[in-house]
Amino acid sequence: MANIFPRWSNLLPLKIAVCAGSAAAGVALAFSYYATPKALNVGYQPSQPIPFSHKIHVDQLGLDCRYCHSFVDVSGHSNVPTGSTCWNCHQHVQRESPKLAPLHKSMNPTHPGYDGKPIEWVKIHKSPDYVYFNHSAHVNRGISCQTCHGDVNKMEVVYQAQPHSMSWCLDCHRAPEKNLRPLEEVYNFNYNAEDYVSKHGAALGVKTTEELGLKLKEQFKVKPKESCATCHH
Amino acid sequence: MSKRIWQHPEVPAGETTVSWRSVGQLEDTPAFREWLDREFPQGAAEMADESEAETSRRSFLKLMGASTALAGFGMAACRRPETYIVPYTKAPEWVIPGKATYYASAMPRACGATPLVVTTFEGRPTKLGPNSLHPDVCGTDAFAQASVLDLYAPNRSRRFLSSGKPAKRADFEAVLAGLAANKAAKIGFLFGADDSPTRARLTKELAAKFTAAKFYQYEALAGEASKAYGDGAKPVADFSKADRILSLDCDFAGVDPQGAVTPFFDRRKPEGKTYEQTPDESKMNRLYVVESAYSLTGGMADHRLRVAPTEVLKVAGQIARELGLPIAKGVNEIKDAKTLSWIKPMVADLKAAGGKAVVLAGSRLPAAVHHLALAINTALGAIGEGKPLAVVQTDAKGLGSLADLKADLDGGAIDTLVMLTPANPVYDAPADLGFEASLAKLKTSIHLGERTDATAHAATWHVPAAHYLEAWSDTRGARGAYTIVQPMILPLYQDCVSEIELLLALLSDSGKLINGEGEKGAPSPAYDAVRKTFASLGGGGEAAWKTLLRDGFLAGSSYSLAAASQAPTAEADIAAANIEAGKAGEPSKDSLQVVFSADSSVFDGRWIDNAWLQEIPDPISKLTWDNAALIAPKTAKELGIYDQIVEVEQYSDAVPYVVPAQGKFAKVGPDGEGENRKQRMIEVTVNGKSLELPVLISFGQAENTIVIPLGYGQGFDKDDELGRKTDQQGHVGLVGVNRGFNAYPLRTSATSYIATGAKVKFLEGKTYSLALTQEHSSMYGRALAREVSTMEDEHKGSFKQQLANVSKQGNDSHAPPNVYLYKPETSSTWHPGPDGKAQPLINDPLHQWGMSIDLSSCMGCAACSIACQAENNIPVVGKEQMARGREMHWIRMDRYYATQKDNTFDADNPAFVPQPVACVQCESAPCETVCPVNATIHTEDGLNAMAYNRCIGTRYCANNCPYKARRFNYFDYNKRNPLIKHNLYHGPFGTKAVGDAEHLQKNPNVTVRMRGVMEKCTYCVQRLKDAVIRQKRGQKQEALVAGKPSTEMEVTTSTLRVPVDSIKVACQEACPADAITFGNLLDKEKSAVGRTKSIERNYDLLNYIGTRPRTSYLARVKNPNQHMPDAPFIGKSTIHMV
Repeated sequence: MANIFPRWSNLLPLKIAVCAGSAAAGVALAFSYYATPKALNVGYQPSQPIPFSHKIHVDQLGLDCRYCHSFVDVSGHSNVPTGSTCWNCHQHVQRESPKLAPLHKSMNPTHPGYDGKPIEWVKIHKSPDYVYFNHSAHVNRGISCQTCHGDVNKMEVVYQAQPHSMSWCLDCHRAPEKNLRPLEEVYNFNYNAEDYVSKHGAALGVKTTEELGLKLKEQFKVKPKESCATCHH
Repeated sequence: MSKRIWQHPEVPAGETTVSWRSVGQLEDTPAFREWLDREFPQGAAEMADESEAETSRRSFLKLMGASTALAGFGMAACRRPETYIVPYTKAPEWVIPGKATYYASAMPRACGATPLVVTTFEGRPTKLGPNSLHPDVCGTDAFAQASVLDLYAPNRSRRFLSSGKPAKRADFEAVLAGLAANKAAKIGFLFGADDSPTRARLTKELAAKFTAAKFYQYEALAGEASKAYGDGAKPVADFSKADRILSLDCDFAGVDPQGAVTPFFDRRKPEGKTYEQTPDESKMNRLYVVESAYSLTGGMADHRLRVAPTEVLKVAGQIARELGLPIAKGVNEIKDAKTLSWIKPMVADLKAAGGKAVVLAGSRLPAAVHHLALAINTALGAIGEGKPLAVVQTDAKGLGSLADLKADLDGGAIDTLVMLTPANPVYDAPADLGFEASLAKLKTSIHLGERTDATAHAATWHVPAAHYLEAWSDTRGARGAYTIVQPMILPLYQDCVSEIELLLALLSDSGKLINGEGEKGAPSPAYDAVRKTFASLGGGGEAAWKTLLRDGFLAGSSYSLAAASQAPTAEADIAAANIEAGKAGEPSKDSLQVVFSADSSVFDGRWIDNAWLQEIPDPISKLTWDNAALIAPKTAKELGIYDQIVEVEQYSDAVPYVVPAQGKFAKVGPDGEGENRKQRMIEVTVNGKSLELPVLISFGQAENTIVIPLGYGQGFDKDDELGRKTDQQGHVGLVGVNRGFNAYPLRTSATSYIATGAKVKFLEGKTYSLALTQEHSSMYGRALAREVSTMEDEHKGSFKQQLANVSKQGNDSHAPPNVYLYKPETSSTWHPGPDGKAQPLINDPLHQWGMSIDLSSCMGCAACSIACQAENNIPVVGKEQMARGREMHWIRMDRYYATQKDNTFDADNPAFVPQPVACVQCESAPCETVCPVNATIHTEDGLNAMAYNRCIGTRYCANNCPYKARRFNYFDYNKRNPLIKHNLYHGPFGTKAVGDAEHLQKNPNVTVRMRGVMEKCTYCVQRLKDAVIRQKRGQKQEALVAGKPSTEMEVTTSTLRVPVDSIKVACQEACPADAITFGNLLDKEKSAVGRTKSIERNYDLLNYIGTRPRTSYLARVKNPNQHMPDAPFIGKSTIHMV
């Protein structure tokens, strides 16, 4: 009986295994390189020099956004807190936590290895150089931090929640009513439009959240611009 | 190949005005025609033929496809790069990241400090603006605007030199300690001509400590005025009180300020400073100018007399004679009937002004002219309280001159010299003085300077100087207001020392040099010294000091008045000058007169390494990056060199673009093509020295006169076109190397301004490349710049009628009403509103921006262009690219000449008409309709916006712009150093950016453009957005204060609208003449810009094309004296370019 399988086929399973194995390894490598939270756009979640938890500080302790991001409502740039802002509390609280070593290095002259240099936080929300974005123009007109940055108060490690693409910007510039809040609620991460309507709706003459948005848009005279020079100059 | 040409109607028969931009146009050379037809010169714009190209379209696409595919293998670019946010560890007070902080400071200068408000971002000074609170404020000129670049200059001196070689700081400190300890040191101090109260105080302390110390003052272009007014005294004009002004070769609006100049320009507007009155010619001032070559002031003149440089003395003498002053008898009479017919009615007019007339003499003129000017002003009753002239006593008293210093050096009265002057005496001292040889005899000479110039190399020690934005100091305004100079930043380089810090080190017992920051973070010792001075001036206490820092000056402080009496030496000086002038005689083609002028880019040479100033075209000659001899056309013809000068390049068959040409210059080929343009050279011999330099034709210049701007030719390297000696290469940086020709060696002490008996030799076959911009971006059109006269004209009627006819000049008189070619109301491009119906695209109910430019007060100084460059991150392109017409300035200063065909008084004295042109923000913009990618489109508030990141560089927009206001980034000017020869052409292999600090000057709110992107004026959109956002934010603050919930907050159009006239764009802010008005057109008559739009002088440039520009122009008004012989030819220079 002739051999059904030629001689060369003896090595075939091995070859298939090697090929499939390297393909799988390639996919795994590519996935880990391109598709994990360190590389994504939405979902980008790099590790920070200090594993700062917004969940603890905002949700549990109730710190206002503006305690640390103190110039968000006066400047285009929302500042990241200076070392001394952290040190205000952490020279007393959790002082010995090993997670705070970079802060000690930056702020505590008695710490071995103190160099006084600022902490380098990894940037998460990044707009290109040719985009001009102004925080104060938004938070003072009824757009909440939450709208663009997501539920930061629930984030143990901060990640990018929204795409921050041009079409995403334009969606809101074309229909701001979907995201407008009364100015008092801009920094309130537990804001719920429905609750607000049921509480204040009668006084404002609105019945639904849609009506609330339209009412605020009219009240604040919000007319977001869509021309190029609004963000590109 | 060229653009579609508008068929201009024939010039009307009665038209007497002839106007031109350049000698090429006057002679109608084909080269000029080509500039006119094209947006860019030939070769710069297109490939001749696809087959000739190195890369065909097909192979280009293949390559691009392949490289895109290959890019996939790398894929690293698909991963997001990690970037960092680095906050402060301890936040400095007042600094808000992302927000500008403004500080009051001042730039010390010989003519009186320029008060400034400095914009800083996170501690970096990026932009200078005028301090409008200061009593002596008058905008900021080009020098002040460009001075911020010096702070970041790549070639800035940053280490100590000993005899020109790098040295250790410790060694210098040892020398300094030795000096401080030796109280018997024979030490001399050489100061600049600026005034600093703290320095004056320290000078007294130094004199007390070092008993043998001597003090001197020197700047190359300071004049002899103090001989007439007394030691340290100077005249200061108050132009708001001057109805009639006579300038005797005094460029008070340009490089020779005599007091704040803005009030002068305010009175050039018949409607008043802010356009609130009905036009009234009687409130306008009248300017007479007697000069030998055009200056910016001469360009503003109502009546201008051109005379040879030595004749100015005679004219002054004649005026004194007409006034019956005995002092006049020392000067020879003017016999020329024509000149007399000009002087007599002028003097009558000055007299009739009843104490409101003033005569200003150029500060570099001989002392005799100053004596005469003082006598004339006294006779006119111009000096005193409430009068247009004051003589003030500055603090710079009892200082020796450079000649005194030289005598003391040679005589051994001093053996140590500390040079603190901004001048460069080894380079710019009069040639016959031999200063360098005397300096070399010293055992110790210390030079403090920001550049390692000739003096830095010649001195035994060079100390790098701190910039005025890095040091504590004080200074005085033109009228003596005490003004603070505050540092914005610590010295960028740790060894940079300020003048006061150096003096304080010498005053201390140890001689320890403390610069920048004191010990343990204490402020610099200069801070304490300035506070001490301020306290002694009556500013004690913390509150007064804080007010000083906030306002920038001490209210109510000023110089004391000096006695304005004739100096005892007056008659002797005049007699000597008269003999001198007699000896020189009338200039002729064999005995020419030379004027050594201050340059509007490098001044006396100190700005040679400032790239912005080098690249800004000279307001008169439109020359960039070099200097050249200027000569009147008639003189050039007499010398037989005119034709050669005009023919800058012979026609060549290698150039495929042929223009049918007629006339004498038919064979002249296209010029202006970068390296191909060659200027002819001459040799000028005077005072026994000669200089070879290129020559240009200059209009309105006195016959047989050569003007040579000073300050160039400080160092050359191997790339120099003429192969000059490279031994002084180290004296300049990349910007200043190979720049122009040094005329200082021709100058002697006696002829520091004017030299006589010069001879000119044409150098056959010798040429030099010059980058001239006078023909770049030439516009077609009739009545581009419009002019009217306050005097009644036979044909044009009274002033009222002329005003009414401004909007009907040129094509506007007979062009049919505009049909909008672009976006007509019913077309498909019409933007539909929310209701689906047609609505205007430009629909913002809050703001509609507009601008107007008043040609009546614009003098053409180009301070606006540099302010724009600083504000908008505009790159420098270098001489090579400049010559190709690739300049990036968003505001171009067009300069026209115009004369009357029937001018019987002086046909060779054309009017000088400047016109700044930037993007006029057309409502129906031709550029927008041709962009294939919608990169340039309109905003709701009326701006013609440019989205750089969308632009693909087709350049269709620029091609379709009738104003030629668009600029294209042919290269990555920001990333590849454009100053190295041919570097831009090396692509990715070219040397990278200029210096290590240049990027710190950039405005963070403006995109830095890359290669292949179109750009243009945006009305400073970043400032507009900032103001609008700030205004919106205000609503919330008000609601919070009122304690109301935000849902009850009242927001209306008026609360969201930016307050009337509260925004200033960069060019407007800088303008010393207040010629630019900007604002919200919806504010109507409440805003200055709204008022300008409704006055009769208002007109749109190229109105008949139907572009509906947002920037309009206001016609120039001349205010001639009807008794003058040249009066009928004044005020008619409406410019036609057809």
